[in-house]
Amino acid sequence: MTSISEQLSDALGIMIMGMGLVFTFLSILIIGIGIVAKLFPAPVAYIPAPQAPSNTALDTSLDPKLVAAITSAIHQYRAK
Amino acid sequence: MEGLMAFWSETGVANFTGGQLLMMGVGCLLLFLAIAKGFEPLLLLPIGFGAILANIPNAGFTEEGGLLYYAYHVGIETGIFPLLIFMGVGALTDFGALIANPKTLLLGAAAQFGIFATLLGAIALNLVPGFEFSMQDAAAIAIIGGADGPTAIFLASKLAPELLGAIAVAAYSYMALVPLIQPPIMKLLTTKAEREIKMEQLREVSKKEKIIFPLMVLGMTILFLPAATPLVGMFCLGNLMRESGVVDRLSKTAQNELINIVTIFLGLAVGSKLSAEQFLRIETLGILVLGAVAFSIGTAAGVLMAKLMCKLSGGKVNPLIGAAGVSAVPMAARVVNKVGLESNNQNFLLMHAMGPNVAGVLGSAVAAGVLLAVLG
Repeated sequence: MTSISEQLSDALGIMIMGMGLVFTFLSILIIGIGIVAKLFPAPVAYIPAPQAPSNTALDTSLDPKLVAAITSAIHQYRAK
Repeated sequence: MEGLMAFWSETGVANFTGGQLLMMGVGCLLLFLAIAKGFEPLLLLPIGFGAILANIPNAGFTEEGGLLYYAYHVGIETGIFPLLIFMGVGALTDFGALIANPKTLLLGAAAQFGIFATLLGAIALNLVPGFEFSMQDAAAIAIIGGADGPTAIFLASKLAPELLGAIAVAAYSYMALVPLIQPPIMKLLTTKAEREIKMEQLREVSKKEKIIFPLMVLGMTILFLPAATPLVGMFCLGNLMRESGVVDRLSKTAQNELINIVTIFLGLAVGSKLSAEQFLRIETLGILVLGAVAFSIGTAAGVLMAKLMCKLSGGKVNPLIGAAGVSAVPMAARVVNKVGLESNNQNFLLMHAMGPNVAGVLGSAVAAGVLLAVLG
């Protein structure tokens, strides 16, 4: 019986230590993620809304020429 | 006539023992659960078939020179199969939800209480006559509460190889039963108002954050818990291959072909451990009971932790997502989503539950590392 109570107290020790370690480890990870998030901010920060429409406007104005160039290139390539 | 007698003495009919027949029945039960009920079919099908093969008299599958003997010897005794699977899981895992809301790591940590509480439970079971679990056995059984197949197999192969068959079967069966085990516990511990809480949309996560994350996890494991580096290292390798975006071929292989091939052999090798003399024992019954307890305690601890976070954050966290902390990716997160929808049919918690869900994978790998470091 003594051995079982010894084992139980051992298991209790492992339980407390284990949970402590798991929490410590993952808490440090939370801090780490926070630091990385500060250093490398998410793309939301550098997609300014006003630029987007002007970009697409440029794209569409270029589109016909670009499409023509690409199609002719494809034709030439296929003709070989 | 003598030839006929010799033939007869070699047949299965003449050589069957009761135990073998019973274990073939267990194998058939696993096949039934996989095929008819859809319980983790990817694993229970090869495990069930492996159990049938392992119990064929005179076929020698599990004796030296037999197929299953080598599959076990090469893949599981060395820990290679579970580690390769872990690499594939890493390549399949998107940590975006976790990085966007890192506090959910605490939920993944809390749910590991299931593991350590079961360790105590397994030792306490020694008070019942017939059970004699050593601390190593107890740790290997407790890891079922991590709800993570490869981790459970890896730890069992290191700490208690003779219990591996029962532990693997229990782990995968309970993972399949997550939709049945978890909801009652989740509902018991939360009020309807809490279940209806809507969470803020997660922020965008940059690619650099996602690339640095596996390296950071690996770095921390190297510094603080080298015993967990086999598991965490392979996991991070898979995840880095996915997020770096430069080795799509390798990432795809890791999450498809490789993980599939390894799954076949892992299942067969685990099935080979379902032999009559190793499985038909009172311990197996204890393992099945303890496994269910581990799962339930883990779920409860996760939900309670989420309730605490809900209180501290002023009601911004839906306590249901704590249940996903047990890992069992992605089943547990889906269960959270489903229970959330039952309370409020506009409340989609899936992405919020993915954070604690993948945190649970890391948490159980860390817990396995702790157990290995202390008892290995």
